[in-house]
Amino acid sequence: MDEFQEILQDFLVESFELVEKLDEDLVELESRPDDLDLLNGIFRVAHTIKGASSFLNFDVLTHLTHHMEDVLNKARHGELSITPEVMDVILESVDLMKALLEQIRDTSNDEGIDVSDVVKRLDRISGGNGDVETPSSSSAQNETPSSEPSQESQTNAEQTQEEPQEEPQEEEEDEIDYENLSPEEIEAEIERLLAKRQEEDRKKREAKKKKQQNNSGDAKQEQTPKEEQKAPTPAPQTQAPKQEPKNEEPKAQAAAAPARKAPAAVEQTIRVDVKRLDHLMNLIGELVLAKNRLIKINSDVEERYEGEEFLEELTQVVSIVSIVTTDLQIAVMKTRMLPVGKVFNKFPRMIRDLSRELNKKIELVIEGEDTELDKSIVEEIGDPLVHIIRNSCDHGIEPPEERIAAGKPETGTVELKAYNEGNHIVIQINDDGRGLDPDKLKQKALEKGIVTEKEVDNMSDKEAYALIFKPGFSTAAQVTNVSGRGVGMDVVKTNIEKLNGIIEIDSELGKGTSIKLKIPLTLAIIQALLVGVQEENYAIPLASVLETVRISTEEIYTVENKSVMRLRDEVLSLVHIGDIFEVERIMDNSEHAYVVVLGLGASKLGLIVDSLIGQEEIVIKSLGEYLKGIQGIAGATIRGDGGVTLIVDVVALMDIAKDVKSSVASAESTATKSNEKNAPSDYRIMIVDDSKTDRTIMKKALEPLGITIVEAGDGQEALGKLKDSDEMFDAMLIDIEMPRMDGYTLANEIKKYNRYKNLPLIAVTSRTSKADRMRGVESGMVEYITKPYSADYLSSVVQRNIKFKPEFQS
Amino acid sequence: MSDKLKEVINKQQQQQNAPEQGNTDDVIQLVGFIIGDEEYAVPILTIQEIIKPIGWTRVPQTPDYVLGVFNLRGSVIPLIDLRRKFGLPPKKQDDETRFIVMKHGDDVAGFVIDRLTMALRLSKKDIGPAPDTVDGDNTSIEGVGKRENNILTILKVGKLLERDF
Repeated sequence: MDEFQEILQDFLVESFELVEKLDEDLVELESRPDDLDLLNGIFRVAHTIKGASSFLNFDVLTHLTHHMEDVLNKARHGELSITPEVMDVILESVDLMKALLEQIRDTSNDEGIDVSDVVKRLDRISGGNGDVETPSSSSAQNETPSSEPSQESQTNAEQTQEEPQEEPQEEEEDEIDYENLSPEEIEAEIERLLAKRQEEDRKKREAKKKKQQNNSGDAKQEQTPKEEQKAPTPAPQTQAPKQEPKNEEPKAQAAAAPARKAPAAVEQTIRVDVKRLDHLMNLIGELVLAKNRLIKINSDVEERYEGEEFLEELTQVVSIVSIVTTDLQIAVMKTRMLPVGKVFNKFPRMIRDLSRELNKKIELVIEGEDTELDKSIVEEIGDPLVHIIRNSCDHGIEPPEERIAAGKPETGTVELKAYNEGNHIVIQINDDGRGLDPDKLKQKALEKGIVTEKEVDNMSDKEAYALIFKPGFSTAAQVTNVSGRGVGMDVVKTNIEKLNGIIEIDSELGKGTSIKLKIPLTLAIIQALLVGVQEENYAIPLASVLETVRISTEEIYTVENKSVMRLRDEVLSLVHIGDIFEVERIMDNSEHAYVVVLGLGASKLGLIVDSLIGQEEIVIKSLGEYLKGIQGIAGATIRGDGGVTLIVDVVALMDIAKDVKSSVASAESTATKSNEKNAPSDYRIMIVDDSKTDRTIMKKALEPLGITIVEAGDGQEALGKLKDSDEMFDAMLIDIEMPRMDGYTLANEIKKYNRYKNLPLIAVTSRTSKADRMRGVESGMVEYITKPYSADYLSSVVQRNIKFKPEFQS
Repeated sequence: MSDKLKEVINKQQQQQNAPEQGNTDDVIQLVGFIIGDEEYAVPILTIQEIIKPIGWTRVPQTPDYVLGVFNLRGSVIPLIDLRRKFGLPPKKQDDETRFIVMKHGDDVAGFVIDRLTMALRLSKKDIGPAPDTVDGDNTSIEGVGKRENNILTILKVGKLLERDF
C-alpha cells in the first residue's frame, strides 16, 4: 500500500506539472497551429497521463485522456486542423483532467466526475461515430501507442539536440503500422527497437565523450522497466528529453528533472520536501538571532577591554560568523525561491478564455517570468494577480470597435512584467485600455458613501485611483461574472499587504492603467527600524518607512482633534505610537519629537516616537495561536539581548490611527475617568515628611475625612511610591526640608511627568520667607501651608484641592 | 546535606513505590502550586518546563492578565498571570515566583504562579468532579483532588490555553 501511495504521489506531482505546462502550450498552439513540435509535446502529455492512470487503475481519467489523445493524434498527423472550437473542447477536457487529478489527490480515486459529455465531443471532433469506448479498454491498445511516442520522443530529443542524422531513422520507425501488429509482433518490435537503440548508444558512446555516456546509460535504464512491465508507466521518463530543451523556464527543469532523464546531465537537481526547507529556514532564523546577539556582546566587550589583544581575534571571529551567517541565509533563501513564471504561466490560458468570453481581442505579453520569489509568496500572489488581470481585461481593455474608434490597435495588450528592485520584486500589470477617470472614481465613491465630500476635494488623482481598492467599490457599470462582485480589488490589496507588499496604481485616461505590486523577496527575515517609546521598543518594517524627521513640539498642530504637521509642502497627520499601543506615558520628552514617516501606496502617516534606536535585520516570529490577530502587531522578534520586540503591522496601524484622537484629548479623558469618586476612601493623598510626628499630626487632621492616606519619609521614597502606584493620587502634602531629596526637587521631578501635571502639590513647611514661597510656586506647588497650622485649616486646604465632594463630609 | 539528600531520595522512592501497590493506571501525576491562598495542580505531562521569572514584553490590546510575551530559547511565548486571571490583586514577583510553561497540542503559554509546592500522585478515586457551582463546560477546573489534610483544584490546561478575549 505504501508503495502504491508513493507511486501515486509521484504520479500526481508529475501530472500536475504536465497539465500546468499543457495549458500554456495549448494556448500557444492556437496561435501557431502548425507547430508540430508543440503538438507532439501536447500529445505526449495526454498520452503520459493516460498511460500512468491506466496503470494505477484510474479508469475515468484513462478514458478521458484516451479520447483526448485520439483528437491530438489526428491533429498531429494533419488529419484535423486546430480551430478555436476544437481548442475549446480540448481545453475543457484539460480542465476536467485537472479536476480529476485534484479528486485523485484528495480522495485517491477518480470516480464521481462525469466525463462522458466531453468525451462525446472529443469523439465527434476526431471523426468518431460516437461509440464511446468503455474505460477498461484493452491493455494491448494502451501498449501500442506507448512505445511509439516514447521512441519518437527520444529520437526527437536527440534530434533537437545534436543528432540530425537520426532523422531518417525516425521516419522509418514511424512508418511501421503498429495498429496491425499482434501483441507478439509488438514484443518483437520492441525488442528490435531496443536492440537498435542500444546499438546506437554504444556507437554514440564510442564517438562522443562523457555526456553521451550518461545519456545512453539513462536510456537503457528507462527502457528496461518498460519491457518488463509492458505498461506505459515509464512513459513520463521518456518524455523529458523532448520537453526540457524546449522548456526555457528553469523552474520546470528544477522541478521536473529529478524524476526524469536530464538531457545532458548538466543540471543536477533533487526534489526536497518543503517542510525540510522550512525547518532549515527556521534554523537560519535562530542563527541570525544568535549572530545579532554575538555582535552585541562583542561591542560590549570591546567597550570594556579596549586595546586588549584577544579583542581583535574575537572581533575577527565575530565578523566571519556574521558574514557566513548572512551568506548562509541568502543561500537557504535561494533554495526556497521559485520563478514567478510558475504563477504567470496560467495567465495565457486565462486571457484566451477571457477574450473569447468578452469578445475582445487581448494579447498578453509576459516579461521577466524567471524572476525569483520565495515559494510562500509565489503561492500567495496568484489570486491577487488573477483579480488584477481580470479587471484589466474586463474594465480596462475596450471592445474592438471602441478601440478602433479611439485610434488604437484593435487588439488590446496586457503586459505582465516582473523585475527586481532592491530587496523587493516588482510585478507590474499594464494595460492599454481606457484608463481610469479620477473624477468618475470620486463621483462613484461619493455615491457609495465610501468617502466624504471633503475628502474628495483634497484628493489627488493618485489617491482617486487608489479608491478602487476600497471595499465595496466597483467601477464596472454592471457586474459581470468576469470581474466578480466588486470585492476583488479590495481583497487584492489586503492579500498583497499581508505579504508586507505595497500596491501602487497609476493611470492615464484613454491610454491605460498600470498596477505595480512591490513585494519583499522573503517573508521570514526583514530589515526593520527599531523605535522606542518610554521603556518599550517596537520594530517597524523598513520597507514602509519613507523617512524619519526630528521636529520640535511646536511644529505639531491640532486640527479637528487630530495632530498634524507640515512636512515640506504636505500636511502629514500624526499619531503617537504610545496612543496606539496603549503605552503609559509617564515621561513626556522635552520639546523635541521624532516622527517616522510611514508610506503605504498613496497614504502616508507620521508616527511620533520617543527615540530612534536603529536599523536591524529581524526574524519574524508569530505570536502564536493565543495572541494572534492583535491589531497593529504583525509578530515579534527576538533581539540581540534576548528580549522580545513586537513588530508593527503598518497596514493595521494606519487603520487604527484614523480612530485615535489627538494625544492631549485622550490624556484628559483618562484623567477624568480615574477621578470618579464614589466614597471618601477613593480619595488618595500622600504625606511626605521626614518627621514621623509631623506625619502623624497631618494624618490625625485628615483622618476624619475618611480619605486614603499614604506616607513617605522623603522625596525619593515618595517618588518611588508615586510611580509604583497603579492609582492616581489626588494631592500630596510635601515637607520642604527632607533628607535625600527635598520638597522642591521632589515637586520638580513630579512635574516632569505628564501624568502628574494636574496633581496638586501642597507644601507644608516651617520655612516662611517670601523667597521660599516663590521657590515653591516655581517648582509647581499650588498651596503653601506654614507650620504650625490648625487641623481644620489643613483639612480645608486639602478638601479644596482634592475637590472633596460635600456629601462625603460627616 | 547527604542525610537530607537521602531523605529526599527515600521520599521519592516511596512515592514511586506507593502507586505500584495499586493499579498504575489509576494514578495521575500532578504538579502543585500556589496562587493566592489556594493550591492548584496541573497534570505533569502538560508541563513543558518550569523556569524562574525572566523579562517579558508587554503586548497591547490584551486583557490585564496577559502580561505579554517572553523569549524561551528562541520561541516567543505568551505570558499569563494566573493571579489576575483568577481575579486576585496583582502581587510583585519574588524569589518564589515561577513561570510554568504548559502545552496542550500546539498551544504553549507561560503562566505566572506564586510558588511551587510539589509533584504529587493522586489516585483517580481521590479526584472529585468540579463543584456544581461552576458553569458546565466553560470551567477551567478539571476536578478537585482530595488529600489527607487539604484539597487542591486541578486545572484544565486546554482551557487555560484557550484565548478568551
